[in-house]
Amino acid sequence: MARVLDPKLLVIGLGGGLLSGLLGVGGGVIMVPLLVLWAAYGQRDAHAMSLGAIIPISIAGIATYGVAGQVHYLDALGLAAGAIVGAALGARLLTRIDERLLKIIFGLFLVGIAVLVGVRA
Amino acid sequence: MSGPGLYVALVAFGVLAGVASGLLGVGGGTLMVPFLVFAVGLTQHGAEATSLLVILPTAIVGSLTLRRRGVGDLGVALRFGLVGALGAFAGAKLALALPASTLKIVFAVFVGLVGLKLAWDGVSGDARMRDERSHS
Repeated sequence: MARVLDPKLLVIGLGGGLLSGLLGVGGGVIMVPLLVLWAAYGQRDAHAMSLGAIIPISIAGIATYGVAGQVHYLDALGLAAGAIVGAALGARLLTRIDERLLKIIFGLFLVGIAVLVGVRA
Repeated sequence: MSGPGLYVALVAFGVLAGVASGLLGVGGGTLMVPFLVFAVGLTQHGAEATSLLVILPTAIVGSLTLRRRGVGDLGVALRFGLVGALGAFAGAKLALALPASTLKIVFAVFVGLVGLKLAWDGVSGDARMRDERSHS
């Protein structure tokens, strides 16, 4: 990788960051496919690159929401304690799991959540 | 929910969201934001803000784990993430300017599309085939 960043990465980072700040998510969901399909990364490398980019992206989002007084620190602490254990576990499982069935089940589950959130809005 | 029960639920749900994000690269925020709204009772804005504070340490731990395995390039990732930080600032400002009901609808559309895409990837198996080629 050259010292100068691929302009594609800048666009992907901006797009992922915008989505992350707007919706409170990592942004990996658009960064990973773009890294694979547009910037020609392998799936696993794209996943790692996206995760790394989320570090500065989430810091900017937290600071912006934090200034507005929206961050619930104790709730975040509880969730983070579990999520750190879970993420390490998930990253280890990544190398040995069949992703296909998992994607189908989880994908349909998310569609269900979307309907629920939409109805409540 | 309130009291110790709330924190047990938060930690347990955190494990679930962490595994999902570690495995699929998504599932952190898409799961945590609805959980924080429906189960914990935060506003949409509060849930999004809090979700980001959970995502940060999770991303750090996940990145270090993957780096030890020689996957990806953390230096490059952090550098393009710095550009992404500008996007995140703009996105969060936009969210704060939107009413909660509008933000919920945008969030619901987003989660629905993510779900459909994941399910489609699983059915077609494209990602796995690309992955195997890139590692062969």
